[in-house]
This record gives sequence, C-alpha cells and structure tokens, in this order.
Amino acid sequence: MKKIFIILCLSLFYSMTAFALDGNEILKKVDRNLNPESFEMYRKLINIDPDGTKKEFVMFSLKKGKDKIASVFLSPASEKGRSTLRIGENMWLYIPNVGKPLRITSLQSVTGGVFNNSDIMRVDYSAEYNCEKIKTTEKGYTLHLKAKHRSVAYETVTMFIDSDKLLPYKIECYAASGMLIKNLYFKKIKDFGNGTIRPSIIKTDSPLYKGYKSYIVFANVKTRTLVDEIFSLNYMHKIDSLRQ
Amino acid sequence: MRQLAISITICFMTVFLCETGFSQNNEDKLSNLNIDLDFKVEEVIKKPYSINADIEAEETIGFFDHDALLFKQKYLDKKEEDLYWQSDFNLTIEGQYEQDKIKLYGRFNGLFYHNVDEKWAIERKVEEVYLSFQPSFSLAIDAGKKVHRWGKGYAFSPSAFFAREKNLEDTDATLEGYYSLSADYIKSMDGIIKTIAVTPVLMPVSRELNHEMGPQDELAWGGKIYLFSFDTDVDFMFLISDNMDDSIGLDFSKNLMPSFEIHGDAALVKDYHQTVIDEYGNTSEQEYKAFNFLLGLRYLSNQDTTFILEYYRNGEGYSAQEYENYLTFIERGYDQYLNSYSKTDISKSKTYAAPYNQQAAMKNYLYLKISQKDPFDILCFVPAITIIYNMNDQSWVTTPQISYSPVTNFTIGLKTGFLIGDHKTEYGEKISKAKIILSIQYFF
Repeated sequence: MKKIFIILCLSLFYSMTAFALDGNEILKKVDRNLNPESFEMYRKLINIDPDGTKKEFVMFSLKKGKDKIASVFLSPASEKGRSTLRIGENMWLYIPNVGKPLRITSLQSVTGGVFNNSDIMRVDYSAEYNCEKIKTTEKGYTLHLKAKHRSVAYETVTMFIDSDKLLPYKIECYAASGMLIKNLYFKKIKDFGNGTIRPSIIKTDSPLYKGYKSYIVFANVKTRTLVDEIFSLNYMHKIDSLRQ
Repeated sequence: MRQLAISITICFMTVFLCETGFSQNNEDKLSNLNIDLDFKVEEVIKKPYSINADIEAEETIGFFDHDALLFKQKYLDKKEEDLYWQSDFNLTIEGQYEQDKIKLYGRFNGLFYHNVDEKWAIERKVEEVYLSFQPSFSLAIDAGKKVHRWGKGYAFSPSAFFAREKNLEDTDATLEGYYSLSADYIKSMDGIIKTIAVTPVLMPVSRELNHEMGPQDELAWGGKIYLFSFDTDVDFMFLISDNMDDSIGLDFSKNLMPSFEIHGDAALVKDYHQTVIDEYGNTSEQEYKAFNFLLGLRYLSNQDTTFILEYYRNGEGYSAQEYENYLTFIERGYDQYLNSYSKTDISKSKTYAAPYNQQAAMKNYLYLKISQKDPFDILCFVPAITIIYNMNDQSWVTTPQISYSPVTNFTIGLKTGFLIGDHKTEYGEKISKAKIILSIQYFF
C-alpha cells in the first residue's frame, strides 16, 4: 500500500512538472538555439537516390525575424543564381533565365529529393506551429505541434527535444490525414561561434520515398544585422551580392 | 498528322494520370553507403568575379506542309523537300565583376547553325550588359542593356512594355534586353503594405539604339510600382512615348491555397495602330484603344504534377475574319502566280506578313502546360506537354516533351511539336506541320 502511494505521488509529481512547462515557450527557445534572430549561413544539400547516385547543391541563406528567409544557389553550375524568398507563407523562386520571380509552394522542392521548400526555407517553428501537448521523456521533452494555418506544409509535427541543450534530435512530420510524411534527424552538434551551438547536419528520410535520403550540412552560421528591404522580389537577383 | 498529334497528346496525358496512382516502392540500398558530409565553405568563398556558361547542341527535324498557305507564300512552288534539318550549337556565357557598390554584368550568346537554305551561319548577340550602382540596400541604379521582364504571365506578357516578346515555343528562354537607364527603390514597412518598390525606366530610341522599339528618335520613359500587401503581389506599370503607343498596365499574383496560385496581367494600349488587309489586297488602317489581358492559374497536385492554364485576350490581334481575309489574299496571290507567273500579290502579302505571321496573331488563346516531376521514380526526369489553342479558329499546337538530367549539369531533351488546324486557320497554315527537336545541354 505504501509502495503504491509513493508511485502515485511520483507520477503526480512528474505530471505536475509537465503541466508547469509551457510548450510554446520551449518551442521559442528551441528556435533561438537553432539559429539567431537574424543571421547568414551556408548549406550543402545532398540528395541520394536508392542506387547511390548523389546530387549536391550549395546555398547561401539569410534569415531575419521569425518568417523571412532568402537564399541563393552557388552550385552546381546549372542551378547557380537561382534564388528563393520566403515571407511568412509566401514563397517565390527566381530563375535567372526566366528573369522574374514566380510563386512556388511549400510542398514543392526546388532541389528535388526528400526535402521540400518548407524544409529548405525553414522559418521559426513557433511562427508556424502551436504546441498542443507536451510530454516529458527520459531524454527531455516531446512537443506535439499543430499548424497555425492551412498553408503550412505539415499539419502536425512531433518534436523530440534534448532538455539539456534545448535542441531537437528528431522531428516527425505528419499530413492532415495522420500519415507520416518524413522524419528529420538532427545530428553532430557544433559550436558555430557567438553562442550558436546547434546540430550541423539534418538527415531526412520518408516512407513516401523509400530508399531516398537527403542531408543538409550547415556551415558558417553567423549572426548578421539585416535590413527588411533585402527580403523583397526586387532584391532576389542580387542576393549573391550580400555574401561577404 | 492530326491523329498522330492527338495520340501523342493522349499518351502524355495518360502518363500524368498513371503517375497519380503510382506508388513509390524502392528498396533501400543505402545502408552501407559511405556519405561524406564534410562541407568546407572555402569551396564557395566569394570572389569579385564569376563566369558561367552553358553549351547546347540541338538537332531539329521539321516536316513541311506543302499545302499550307504560309509555305506557299514563302517558297511558292520552289521547294520540293518534305523535311528540313537544322543543327544548332548555342553557347551562352555569363559573367560579372563586383567591387564595393558597383557591379558589371554581362550575358553573351553565340549561335552557330546549319540548314539547307543558309548553310553554316553564325549569330552573335549581347543579351545583357549593364553597370549597376548600389549606394544602399534600398536603392540601385542600372545603366546598359538590360531585360525588364514585367508581368506575371507564364506564356504571355501583355504588360512587359520594355521587353521583347517571349518565344511561345520556349517561354523560359533568356531574352535580349534593351539599352536603358533604370533604378530600383525598395521600402519595407509594417502596415498593410509590407513592401513597395519603384522602378523608373528611361529608354533612348534611335537608329543605333533600341531601334526595334520605335520608328523615330526619342526618349521613352515609364516605370513600375510593386506592392506586396495581403499576401498578394501587385504591380502597376506605364510607358509614355512620343512615337510608340502610350500604355498602362497592372498585374497580380496570389496563392489562394498553398498549391493553387492565380495571376493576371492587363494592359491598355492607347491609340493602337493596325493595318488590315482584305482578301483582294486592299489595306485599311484602324486606330483604337487595345485592351490586352490574361488570367491564369497554377496548380500543383499531391503527385507533383503542375498545371498552368492561361486565358489570353490579345486586343492587338486580328479577328477570325480579318485573319482569314489575309490567308485568302495569299491564296489568290498563289493562284495568280500559277496562272501567270506573276508574283505581284504574293509579294504584296509578304509586305504585311510580319504582324499576321507572328505568334499568337489573333484575339483569344488558351495556354495549358502540364508537367510531371520525377514520374515512376525516375529522378530528374520531367515529361511535359504544352497546348496553345486558338479560340477564334479552333486551331491548336501541341508540344509534348521530356527532359532528363542523369548527371549534374547535364540535360538531355526531346521535344516534338504538332500544328493542327483546318484550311485558313492560324496553325493549319503554318510553314511546317510538325517538328522534332533533340537537345543536349551542359552547364559549366
């Protein structure tokens, strides 16, 4: 009887701890730990086919605030100069040949592979999702996130967080039907300087693309003060000039 | 030929429909693959200059339509071949040099081609070359030859007042610019309007510079104002000129749903001047306010099939009757030549050919493009089909095509085109009735 009472008390204590936690606050902290408020970075995207064929893309990106990100492809030569812009749920692609920005959607992929545009042009999770449920686990927390708008690529997301570092180590992305669309694995935590310590590799796989794998490798994640004007259609063909 | 075109069109449509129900089921063979995830930014360190190029080899086989009136207009009875071949070698070099706030940009194109009529020939063109001065993030001033691609239409651009017309057979191809002095002023805000951008343009027109734009020396000017508000892109544009037609226009683009975009372009051309020829070769002039507009949508399905549909109203185009009269006059001219070897009427018809023989010369068109990304798990493989339908005379052109990039920077393309139409219709009377184009492109 005494044992049962102790177990009940402990269970209640753990539950109380979870209730006391604000999932949305944790999500905001995770966002800030993943990247500074305003910053630049280089990324290499690697798509691997089931037969082992590999395609690589290198991008330079700038992000400001919760929901503005602009990127330009630096390689391969066939993609060089293509740029993307995202402001909230609006996304555009600029192709030098076409010479004007075209609207694209979060579910498309400018690079092919498992990552779609919303993964490549990732804005803060807290800008797109509300935390509906939080659970404490041995490793940290599990946040159950629901999209704020219909236009968000994944209806629900389950984020597994390491509570020591307040960084995700796995994210599961689900469609509105409840079907698992993809898994994102956050690996190899690296100190990028200026207090930015975050995973340097994101790996993804998807039950919809069996055998395909994609990676994003991060480099030179640096805090940078940016003006709003560079996040506009008229600036898309000049994003490369912002590299220092 | 009509049946073949319809069969191929149906085949492509079937591919898109089949893909909808196709389930991806690959075996994971990657478990033992060693992946190098090292990324040294030094590999992409910025240099003040950059040069890129692409080279494309293209072989075209065309099938002449000996019965077509435009064939008779061009060749009379002097061409017996059923086929024509053309080999193209196209080199495009693009480079830029950047120093502080100044950038010099250029894009050059050289085309070396061979066909039976012209043998080996070369065409060189400076597509763009301009100097850009950017004193701040908000302001840029560009001087030189530059493309100003305005408008939201994929196939048609009625509001692109300072640009050359797109090639409907390859709407994504680079264009040659015009010499101009232009600026870009961008301002971001927190209110209802999130971004405003103003683009004034000054364009000199003379015999040496931009002579394609207008008949006499002058300084044309215009501009574009872009607004981003309520998640919608809106542009207002205008052109003011002494000798060209003054024009005003607007365009918009918005995502109604994540995968569903609508767009539109409209332009009002003041005092548009048109020469019309009747079936006897008499000409008359008419001047009116031409209203050109397009409404379009773009939809991406869950299976990565993209649909682009546009309706285009060409206010500057000819009516079905006016176009038929022109073709009837060619027919009379050809009969005159057969009866008396006189080329008087056929030569006269050639004098007025430019506006009549241009692409989309009539009033109402539908454009549909369907493309499927990576069907049947073949990555970097994109089949597509484009249909342009002339609503005035029910003639149409269909272009099934495939492109495949088996390795990085390398693309193979196969494109076919079929022109279908009855006697005295736009696409029924073009010089060729079908085309096959094989291309190989390499970027470096």
